[in-house]
Amino acid sequence: MKIRSYLAMNFFPVTWKPLPQAWATTALAVITLLFAMWPAIASAAKPSEGEKIFALQVRPILQEKCFGCHSHEADEQQGGFDLSTRKNMLLGGDAYGDSVVTPGDAESSLLLAMVAREERGYEMPPKEADRLSDMEVQAIQDWINADAPWPNEATVNEIYAKFAEGETVTTSGGQSEQWTDRKYQPSDLWAFQPIRTEFSVNLSGSRENPRPGENPRPGGNPVDIFIKAGLEQQDLSAAPIADRVELIRRATFDLIGLPPTPQEIRQFVDDRRSDEVAFAALVDRLLESPHYGEHWARHWLDVVRYADSSGFANDWERPNAWRYRDYVIRAFNDDKPFDLFILEQIAGDEIYDLVTASKKARQKARNIHRLVDRVDSDELLVAAGFLRMGPWEHTGMSVAKVTRQQFLDDITDSVGQVFLGQPLQCCRCHDHKFDPIPTRDYYSIQSVFATTQFADRETEWLADENRSGMKHDEIYHRRRYQANEAMMLEIAKLQREFEANWFTERKLPYKTKAEAVAAGVDSDLLPHKSLQAPDDFGRERIGRKWQARFEWELDRYQPFAFSVYNGKTPPARMQTSRFVMPANPKGRGTWEQTCILPGGDPFAKGELVQPGVLSAVPGGLDYEIPVATSGRRTALAKWIVDPQNTLTARVLANRIWSYHFGRGIAGTPNNFGATGKKPTHPELLDWLAGQMVRGGWSAKNLHRWIMNSNTYLRSAQHPNLDKIRESDPNLTSYAVFLPRRLEAEEIRDSMLSVSGELNLTLGGIPVRPDMNLEAALQPRMIMGTFAPAYVPNPLPKDRNRRSIYAHRIRGHRLPFMETFNQPGSEKSCELRDQSNITPQVFALLNGEETNDRALALANRVITQQSQPGQQLDRVQVINRLFKLVYGRQPNDQELRRTLEHWAEMSERHTKVDLPRREWPTEVIREAVEENTGEPFKFTERLFVYDDYEPDLQPHQVDAVTRGLAEVCLALLNSNEFIYVY
Amino acid sequence: MRKMSQPLRRDFLYGLGSSLGSVAFSALLADAAQANKTSPAKQQPHFPEAKAKHCIFLYMEGGPSHIDTFDPKPKLKQLHLKEFQRAGQEQSAMSSGTRYYVQSPFQFAKHGKSGADMCHLWENLAGVADELCFYRGCQVESVNHPTANYHVNTGNQFGGDPSIGAWVNYGLGTENDDLPGFIVLPELAYPQGGSANWSNGFLSTAFQGTPLRSQGSPILDIEPPRGITRDHQRKNLDFLQMLNHEHLAAHPQHDELVARMKNYELAFRMQMEVPKTLQIDDESQATLDRYGVGVEPTDNFGRRCLLARKLVEKGVRFVQVYASTWDSHDYLAKAHGALIPKVDQPIAALIQDLRERGLLDETLIVWMGEFGRTPDNGIRGGGQAYGRDHNPDAMTIWMAGGGCNAGHTIGATDETGATAIENVHHLRDFHVTMLRLLGLDDNKLTYFHAGRFKQLSQFGGKAIDDLIA
Repeated sequence: MKIRSYLAMNFFPVTWKPLPQAWATTALAVITLLFAMWPAIASAAKPSEGEKIFALQVRPILQEKCFGCHSHEADEQQGGFDLSTRKNMLLGGDAYGDSVVTPGDAESSLLLAMVAREERGYEMPPKEADRLSDMEVQAIQDWINADAPWPNEATVNEIYAKFAEGETVTTSGGQSEQWTDRKYQPSDLWAFQPIRTEFSVNLSGSRENPRPGENPRPGGNPVDIFIKAGLEQQDLSAAPIADRVELIRRATFDLIGLPPTPQEIRQFVDDRRSDEVAFAALVDRLLESPHYGEHWARHWLDVVRYADSSGFANDWERPNAWRYRDYVIRAFNDDKPFDLFILEQIAGDEIYDLVTASKKARQKARNIHRLVDRVDSDELLVAAGFLRMGPWEHTGMSVAKVTRQQFLDDITDSVGQVFLGQPLQCCRCHDHKFDPIPTRDYYSIQSVFATTQFADRETEWLADENRSGMKHDEIYHRRRYQANEAMMLEIAKLQREFEANWFTERKLPYKTKAEAVAAGVDSDLLPHKSLQAPDDFGRERIGRKWQARFEWELDRYQPFAFSVYNGKTPPARMQTSRFVMPANPKGRGTWEQTCILPGGDPFAKGELVQPGVLSAVPGGLDYEIPVATSGRRTALAKWIVDPQNTLTARVLANRIWSYHFGRGIAGTPNNFGATGKKPTHPELLDWLAGQMVRGGWSAKNLHRWIMNSNTYLRSAQHPNLDKIRESDPNLTSYAVFLPRRLEAEEIRDSMLSVSGELNLTLGGIPVRPDMNLEAALQPRMIMGTFAPAYVPNPLPKDRNRRSIYAHRIRGHRLPFMETFNQPGSEKSCELRDQSNITPQVFALLNGEETNDRALALANRVITQQSQPGQQLDRVQVINRLFKLVYGRQPNDQELRRTLEHWAEMSERHTKVDLPRREWPTEVIREAVEENTGEPFKFTERLFVYDDYEPDLQPHQVDAVTRGLAEVCLALLNSNEFIYVY
Repeated sequence: MRKMSQPLRRDFLYGLGSSLGSVAFSALLADAAQANKTSPAKQQPHFPEAKAKHCIFLYMEGGPSHIDTFDPKPKLKQLHLKEFQRAGQEQSAMSSGTRYYVQSPFQFAKHGKSGADMCHLWENLAGVADELCFYRGCQVESVNHPTANYHVNTGNQFGGDPSIGAWVNYGLGTENDDLPGFIVLPELAYPQGGSANWSNGFLSTAFQGTPLRSQGSPILDIEPPRGITRDHQRKNLDFLQMLNHEHLAAHPQHDELVARMKNYELAFRMQMEVPKTLQIDDESQATLDRYGVGVEPTDNFGRRCLLARKLVEKGVRFVQVYASTWDSHDYLAKAHGALIPKVDQPIAALIQDLRERGLLDETLIVWMGEFGRTPDNGIRGGGQAYGRDHNPDAMTIWMAGGGCNAGHTIGATDETGATAIENVHHLRDFHVTMLRLLGLDDNKLTYFHAGRFKQLSQFGGKAIDDLIA
């Protein structure tokens, strides 16, 4: 590029310019005055090349990347330089004066060096991420060389409209005309284009709908046809079909998140039907398993950020959130059509209101929800819990408007990411920089939620809900509660005594402060807290806070739904107990009027907006959402699931695909915008999306299409991987199957499964598995005090449930899960990370959970293989062990080494003294007391440990079993156990 | 995302890091120069002239009162217990009701050549007054602890983004492959908001802060089960690696397998070496005394300040040390009166110690909380019990070392300390300044995530030039 030749000049220090150049610029300045007037006579009909460059290239760059700091729009104009008019541009700024732009002479124009990032300290735009492309720099150079013409606004718009490449998109309109009229690269708009129904490949003869056990027609599965087209284009060959042991392991983990049993493996391997037929039957079996719902619900809960607590300062429990978790599990198990699943989550309470109002209203509900008669209406209230999944709280230090706005922003962005693949948060402050989403649309969607209010609504237990563990759980909860209450009574007594003494000493005629105040004594003259010892102050504070917590947590055993209703926004209150549904939702409070908030500031006031949807989606602009109190969310949901909506079905199909292959067809499942990854196989995505809708929004139908493809069956080994890596370095061709590491929950559940300890009960209140004891007892601050300790369930059967049922406390996560990349619940997680980090080794090799599992596994195998009166057949034991953990027999070398290791370890264990583990029944907290600045102590009783039944412990078994447990520990740590192929 | 080939090497280096080669942890400590450098590789800073290579962030959790530490307000003496006048904004429950101005219970004096203001409780810090650069112009957004903590630590009030320590390591890389680049020394109780305060956010887990617990195991599960010896575990590990080798032979194309195997070896070495690194027994008695180790009230914080120095010496980029419960709503005189002596001597010792070892120039020390406090208080229990509430509009931050503008007080608050009025900057500009001192340009230190380039300052900011020497 030409500018290279210019750069030599930059060797002059910034503040010093050689005289000749200064002269030249002065001379030029005179000329530029003439130029400044010149644009007025230009005409858009026949614009000059320079004008075109300005209108089409330069002006958009200036607008997007410069005006933020160098125009009157800037909060604070930087460097005294205004780039928003030609005149001001030529005047220059503080640092370079009028040498910034010399029309006709790009080489002398410092602007060029700045945007080419060659002018040290003045690289523009300052953000590296905003750097101009070579083409953009070239455009600025060409424009300056063409005398830097600056046609007026109207002309620019005319030129842009006439000559700019790309497409305009009709939207509800941006905050500027320029934004409204701007053009987009068609490739960036893919998600806003109608979902294709015609394809470049020939699908005739391919299967219409896979049925259990059906032989594929000669045409094969469309999934393969699309993938094959891509492979042929790249001249790549596909890997062969994986072997059956791999296939059943892959399919079983993918669908139910558990390993196949040795018996299941044998059945599948021995199935004499063709691979395709046998595999289709396997898929059908797994899809009917109730554990399918548990596994796939977990994916959904990642996306919606499920947790059992509120996060932030208090991290209050959400005692009834688990009912939403179980609702999601049931929805997957029942293959609830996804459109209805979405509808219920966004507007379940509105449909509930219709169903329960009158016969006529129920008819209306049927028109909205075709299967409403088959749904228990109470479940609709539970489903709406989705709307409250984000972290949220309102404390004594919160400002009502701010926390309300937090909810509104959270739910607006959530709906965008979860269902539409559009992160909307960018549009909170401005029209979207890259996508056709004006800030108006953001607030229009937000307006849909303006009448949505939190309530923990009384909602009868559902027939399908598991309430079996409640009574037992409540016993321990009540013990805590009562101990706290007793402490509070004791402190109240201390206070009474103190006050009585205080008045007696002063010979005053009162017994209590209350009495004195009632008699008119100035309260400032009275003792402050009526307590003296730091311990008492500290205990009083803990007791007070815990009383509220424990009280609220009792709701776990009561039929409430973590839900919403429509109405006025009630006055905010410091939240310390459940949200009670007001008798009259239209009574107290204010009707929210949604308006555009400039800069996203809740105290700003912009233009009022009406409820609406994304206007760039075909049909979106004309879609009407009622402004009545109720029905807004129903209308929004109906738009989201409208088959004409170009986003939703694609988003869902892509999510399902991504969990099978570890990556989406579109690589960023939460972001289908211009900045997201473009689909690698756009036609396939559209075909799947179409299939989703045609198949009645059935997820199971889509699983069948995807899994019964050769693409899914491929081996993770490729005969010619080097060639693949060369042409397809990111391995997006699906020539080979990508292995994956088990996810956090799968690791724990699999260990429990092979050790025989897993309790497969479905649903119910959260369970508390064992947590590393140090982490469990780690003091944790909540607002103003300590949180109660984490205590596990006392009985193994309750602890050893599937991980999806584990209590999810935002501020106190299971370290094991966190270490293995379970996402936090702050932000929506589209796909999990799979990092390989050192603490994972500590957790898996040294952690109690794994060691307990290893021992149980050893004991299981030995017990199974023991015959009374016969010597233990050690080879059989090892064979069985390998089958349980790996699904295969050991080879000779493995068998030999394993027997040796077992023997050696058993020998050792005759001498190893493993001390008996003990569990504390109380924990002492120490802290500085805020009122006195002095240390205080508090003892928390851990009632669960009074009755705690540990899992099998080393001292309960012999050295041979303990020796085998060491073998088991190694197997559970091994790569073969942790990876799926 | 699934990976098949070329896993990112930095993935292994979470927590206590990794060297994929055969370099033993202890060998590296002894001779960092011979270290077999692995990712996150040491990188060129954006500003090569920057002095700071490390940062020790002294986090005063709860929000210390600027008015009662470093920003004297004599005017409050006149206004003491007079009714507080406020602007008419929407209020939280905390700040509603009748409120009164309250004076500081402490005496102030000027120290050093620079005449730095300190209350009389900073007996030791006064001795290094000229090493400090005070900043009174910073404003934050949130008045709630966890959101304010997240804001200071990650630039984002709602958490989930990378913390500043993660960003710094992402930008500068490691100087010691076998120690994490970002270590947190929390109080026994984690701060409000928990571990999200040292999160890696969307950056690789390799950049996550590793908390070294102050009691019990420094890192969870770093010790084998009781009764299991090292030799015993080695045998198990050999057996495990035999299994892994068999598996690798069957899956030669899956590169991650080797990485995971090496991780086990590294972990095995680390579980012996890490506890050694954390011992401070080898320090001289004079050093221990200087930090106040072994005596009250300084032992707890002194120990951790000393450890911070040791970690920085070993090449750890970013060490965050927490001191908690500065949240003095009541009994300010007692509460702050007890807190300052806990940290005063250790901090002064840390500065002097680093200076004597020639490390102060390359170590940026930052002292701050999540917000300042109000000049007023609802009177609770008479004039004795008063404290102060949360104040996002004014606070004092100070820095030392690392090329900061030592010996100056920058910015000012109004006459009651209610709000910053001079050299006022949003927190994001302070973040940019911290990065600048560490040689990093916030505008270049970006990571593409969720559709846009993210940065610590969120949307960009500018360095506060007056804070830089």
